Amino acid sequence: MSAPLIWIIIPGVFGIFALLITNQRILFFLGGVLALLLAFIAIIIPIDTALQFGNLSLKIAPAIEILGRRLVLIPADGPLLAIFYGLVAMWLFGAVLTKTSNRLVPLGLLISSLMIASIAVEPFLYAAILIEIAVLLAIPLLLPLNKTPGPGLMRFLIYQTLGMPFILIAGWMLAGVESSPGDLDLAVQSATILGLGFAFLLALFPLYIWLPMLAEEASPYNIGFIFWIMPTITIIFGLGFLDRYAWLRASESLQQALSIGGIIMVVTSGLWSAFQRHLSRQMAYAVVAETGFSLLALSLPPEKAIQFVFLLIIPRSLALLVWALSLTRLHENVGLLRFSNVTGLARKYPFASAGLILAHLSVAGFPLLAGFPVRIALWEGLAAESLGMAFWFLIGIFGLLTGAIRTLAVLVKAPQGTGWEFQEPSTTSIIIGFAVISLFILGIFPQIFRPLVGNLPAMFEHFGK
Amino acid sequence: MLILVTILFFFLVALALVVLNWLRPKFRYTWLIAAVGTLFGWLAVLTWQFRLPLKFHLVQWQPTTIFLESISFTADSLSWPFAFSIATIVFAVILTAVARENFPAPIPWAATLVLGGLGLLAVIADNPLTLLMVWAAIDLTEIIAQLRSAHGPQLSDKVVAAFAARVAGIGMLLWASMVSINLGAPMDFQNAPPQAGLYLLIAAGLRLGVLPLHLPYASESAIRRGFGTSLRLVSAAASLILLARIPPSSADSVFTPYLLSLVALAAVYGGWMWLRSPNELAARPFWLIGLASLAMASALRGNPVGATAWSCALLLSGSALFLSSAHHIWLARILWISLIGITGLPFTLTATGWGSNTSSTWFVWPFLVLAQALLLAGYLRHSTRSTKRESFKLLDRGAKIIHPFGIAIPIGTLLLLGFWGWEGAQKTGPILPSLVGVIMGGIVLWLAPRQRIFTPVQPHWVRPAAAFGTDWFFRGLSGLYQGASRLSKSLSEVLESDGGFMWTILFIVLFISLLTQGTL
Repeated sequence: MSAPLIWIIIPGVFGIFALLITNQRILFFLGGVLALLLAFIAIIIPIDTALQFGNLSLKIAPAIEILGRRLVLIPADGPLLAIFYGLVAMWLFGAVLTKTSNRLVPLGLLISSLMIASIAVEPFLYAAILIEIAVLLAIPLLLPLNKTPGPGLMRFLIYQTLGMPFILIAGWMLAGVESSPGDLDLAVQSATILGLGFAFLLALFPLYIWLPMLAEEASPYNIGFIFWIMPTITIIFGLGFLDRYAWLRASESLQQALSIGGIIMVVTSGLWSAFQRHLSRQMAYAVVAETGFSLLALSLPPEKAIQFVFLLIIPRSLALLVWALSLTRLHENVGLLRFSNVTGLARKYPFASAGLILAHLSVAGFPLLAGFPVRIALWEGLAAESLGMAFWFLIGIFGLLTGAIRTLAVLVKAPQGTGWEFQEPSTTSIIIGFAVISLFILGIFPQIFRPLVGNLPAMFEHFGK
Repeated sequence: MLILVTILFFFLVALALVVLNWLRPKFRYTWLIAAVGTLFGWLAVLTWQFRLPLKFHLVQWQPTTIFLESISFTADSLSWPFAFSIATIVFAVILTAVARENFPAPIPWAATLVLGGLGLLAVIADNPLTLLMVWAAIDLTEIIAQLRSAHGPQLSDKVVAAFAARVAGIGMLLWASMVSINLGAPMDFQNAPPQAGLYLLIAAGLRLGVLPLHLPYASESAIRRGFGTSLRLVSAAASLILLARIPPSSADSVFTPYLLSLVALAAVYGGWMWLRSPNELAARPFWLIGLASLAMASALRGNPVGATAWSCALLLSGSALFLSSAHHIWLARILWISLIGITGLPFTLTATGWGSNTSSTWFVWPFLVLAQALLLAGYLRHSTRSTKRESFKLLDRGAKIIHPFGIAIPIGTLLLLGFWGWEGAQKTGPILPSLVGVIMGGIVLWLAPRQRIFTPVQPHWVRPAAAFGTDWFFRGLSGLYQGASRLSKSLSEVLESDGGFMWTILFIVLFISLLTQGTL
């Protein structure tokens, strides 16, 4: 038994078989339980450590070899696997409300296994190819078979695909930098190409324009899943580069680029969010802002940067999940999610509306909600370095909050005499209610995931040490 | 520990009321439980005074290398009068509930207790992080309560706008905290740096509706007298505490005269509207704006003790008037006693209110004194009116005893704080402005029935945001927003069109050229 078999091959194979299952309830249940089981195993069984059960000895080997390439999951990856599959389980269980289990469960598990494989593969350059395969698998997830692809989907595919060759070329050049560290030109060129690759993969400004376009075209829940999984794993993949190359870690220009790139992402997404009139596009801009927060985190001193990046994962995931669930509920009832269509809906769908607003507020860093503790700590980190950067951060946050408040104003603006008529199924209310409570718990006690998140920096040998 | 026990007590009594209402809706002693519970809570807060300062750390976020601040509370000599005032309001709300038409109402009482608990947490918050969390809790409670009863798009818009103003206040407090971090240390309220002082003031001003002048409170008619009063006053107290935390040295800023001018105008406006409003419930927002402006002016003059004094007067005198739901001449006379609390005369609660640690504030004194005079005259006017009040004679025997007692509690507290318990007690303070204010108040009162200008306006005439020409400010903001919105839409269209690819290429070229210029 090996770790890649458990956390990469089994979910992948299950994903393929799940394509044959048509019953949505069975699918969501089996998929959710599998993901939960994988998370549970990651918590209780350490990788590469022998466990004795009476006469029986159990050890999960860290690596397997496939087609001459190795997939390696080291013991320090355990907490990441637990968090990742725990969150995948939440997404898959949530699919019960969305009627998209038949696509989300099989393709979601396949994409998840590929993303984990991208972190585990050696040589690590093959990660770019695995991410590209995941992008290709995302297409049928986002686009039902009988529909014509829109411009957002096309741009998603093009931009993500463009990222792959840049990463591959950068990897090849970086190997050259390793062998001749004095060649400054080569270092600059390779860093530039690498930066371009990640600019495409992470959808940096203005390459993120496909996000709001795609959000308008696809099912909110499935798009939420993609918006969550892709940047999260890509950032961890990017951390691998920083861990591997000391000169890259030590580069002041890179810190500056991350800082400027991050603040541009936060500010532009905030400003666009403030003027947006489409609920799905609001979510897309929030995802852009989240990527900006991660870049800003990486621009801080390395020992803090790595902690910030991992602390951002759970609040972001939870907020996106609540957001996507709530949007899906509204989408199923009104179709188009333009402001003009959703005016006054809070009186019919109070839980979905509350979920939507609170998730938005959480991303914007409103106190008491999951996003707040990390946002304020990140902001303090920036303020300690430069008050100017802290000010621009404030502008970005202000934009996101304006977006949330405008959405609130639209959702509660019912015509005179409209009463409260609850039209939400109780399952929706319960699931969104629990998710919202989790947002509050994480906002007041952010340390509850500390046992898992605290060990994540150990995944990297050098970065943050 | 005493802090935790007291606040838990408020929350547990609230929980008991909710559970009882759910399991045994016709339980007869719900009010008694609420009254005894709040009495113990009130006494507990009173006992804090003997052990000041009290400290309590709720939780330290981990890792400490990232999270520099922790959620912690400190009750000291400046926060205690606030805490005691809040406990008094909660106690008074429960006691006076016997005279209200919706008696018994366990859920609003529970909500009042929860609000009281949150208010206590807010006023003893030791750092901005803690205060922000409590503010957020109060704001969410308030918006839910308001939206539940808001009917019609205009009213819901007002509720959301009020929420937005409060969120802006939260943002400003966060910014003050960032300024402190930039200066080298996370901020706590005991040692706030002077550079952050004005941001703290603006944060409080935004939440109270003073800076810029706006009404952060939606229509009063939808909110009942008991819960509505606690909501308004506790929420105001949670913001006013910030004024007591502003370092006196912040008053030396070059912006102080401008801010003082705005605050003085807001004070006069609040006082004027308070005087001319048709009844005390419609006038409630103006009472808050008027007295909060006086508190802010004290803070801007480097006088946190004075800011505390005006704030507590706002809470205690205000609660006595707003909770008085039955009309009787003797009740009105009891209410007149509470006027003493806002006269600023020696040995009263606001004796320190006119103190000043700066010299360049002479130009605002006439406005501030005029505002005080208008508030005094308006208070007397509203306390003698019978509109919106039931006849005392129609109350049952128990209510006839308990209701006046409920009104007397905040007034008693007001008098007590003039003599005992905090830094501003037993002080004479500057007598001249107080005397002028009282005399001017008397003149306004004498003129009121004789001059048409003082005639109360009808509710539908009240367009508070338009007064003093503040409409242009909000219209300007709206215009700016619309312009920026159009610009954003155009940019989006350009980037999302087929030509957007060209922008991408441009970006790539820029990116490469910028990076290759630097050395790695």
